Amino acid sequence: MIFNTFAYYLGFLIPSAALYRIAPARLRAWVIVLFGSSFFLYFAYEMAGVRGAACLFIFVWESLTSRLYRPASRWCLLGMAQSLLLLGVFKYWNFFTGLVFLHRANPARWPGAFLPLGISFFTFEFYHYAWDRRAGKTEAGSLSEYLAFILFFPTMVAGPIKRYQDFLPKLRAHPVEANRDWERGVTRILSGLVKKFAIADLLTAWTNHLNAHDILLADRRILPLWLLAYGIKIYADFSGYSDIAIGSARLFGIRVPENFNWPYGRRNITRFWECWHISLTRWLIDYIYIPLGGSRVAPLRVYANILVVFLLSGLWHGAGLHFVAWGLWHGLLLCGHRLWRRLRGAPSPHPLAAYSSSALTFVLANAGWAFFCMDLHTAMLFFRRLLIG
Amino acid sequence: MLPTLRAFFEYLGGERDDAPLLHSARSRMLLRCAVWIAFIVLIYFFSGQSSKFIYIDF
Repeated sequence: MIFNTFAYYLGFLIPSAALYRIAPARLRAWVIVLFGSSFFLYFAYEMAGVRGAACLFIFVWESLTSRLYRPASRWCLLGMAQSLLLLGVFKYWNFFTGLVFLHRANPARWPGAFLPLGISFFTFEFYHYAWDRRAGKTEAGSLSEYLAFILFFPTMVAGPIKRYQDFLPKLRAHPVEANRDWERGVTRILSGLVKKFAIADLLTAWTNHLNAHDILLADRRILPLWLLAYGIKIYADFSGYSDIAIGSARLFGIRVPENFNWPYGRRNITRFWECWHISLTRWLIDYIYIPLGGSRVAPLRVYANILVVFLLSGLWHGAGLHFVAWGLWHGLLLCGHRLWRRLRGAPSPHPLAAYSSSALTFVLANAGWAFFCMDLHTAMLFFRRLLIG
Repeated sequence: MLPTLRAFFEYLGGERDDAPLLHSARSRMLLRCAVWIAFIVLIYFFSGQSSKFIYIDF
């Protein structure tokens, strides 16, 4: 829950943002570290008990090893490996060992598996720092500054995924325009809560029907409406979440990256992904797509790179085959769009062409949510009932 | 017109600092008050049914 609890606002956000404003410059990073640690302990304990709270050690360990990172250093490679190892063990252990022992009892199963709070996001920030330090793209900063970066609690749990070189100057700058920051920040938080409560949660009454039993019994004409409801719900839910995170950061006078830019209604799937979960898309481009060769390799390799990126993106969204299928769906759509552009050239400027391609993009992106919100078997049942009857 | 309308909605949601269509400080302040009240009423009205955010350790 977190962002829709009083504890978040009264116990963490308001006191820390106020204290941050009045603290001397040398102590401001420590204010974030203190409240970020308390935030993690409180909510991680609430979600996973003592073992969840103990995961604060991950941040301590990461901050200590990060002091070894230098340009072109092997320590950075070790840092990247440990970020991936953390994510792999906590999030994918049972998934991958389950695939190894397919159709048999999994002797390597970790029965008490749990997810440390925010692991999908903070490991990406760890990885980015190690990579960019190795490439000489960012300075080291002090221990307190790096700790403030990784423990900045408004973005710790579900992003937006920050970059150290963007965050550091804002942390070092003296926060000015307190009135404007607080007015805009509070407005952003309120609008995020409205999206969550009045749109996303309201649509749950419809999206709850997306299960095998209801799909089998329902009139097939209602099925696209349920999926459309999910498309709107996930947008309202995650963009609402991002609004609260960005608004919370604004109370500190710190601007973090935007995550959404009116994705529905974009003219093609490439533009959709430039406007949906922007901080993740940029991370995937910078740390997977470009290292694989990006668009500067042979055409077939480019298609392969796109598919690899989106298969990994799907897997990152969840340890399940239906998430992999969702990633594959979007990877294929992007490859299809790229091929279409290669064959047909620039898009037609005619308004009718623009509206119809926006509508098609909307339908295809929404169809993909079936793989996101249902397991593979149920999603296939959904499409079978929708298209065949 | 569409970009202006979009910018106006972004201002209402706190995403944008400058307010398109509103030129006086008084009208901006009145609008801010109205928006805050509307948001608070909506949050109060709908807050009973809250569920987990989808993207938190999904």
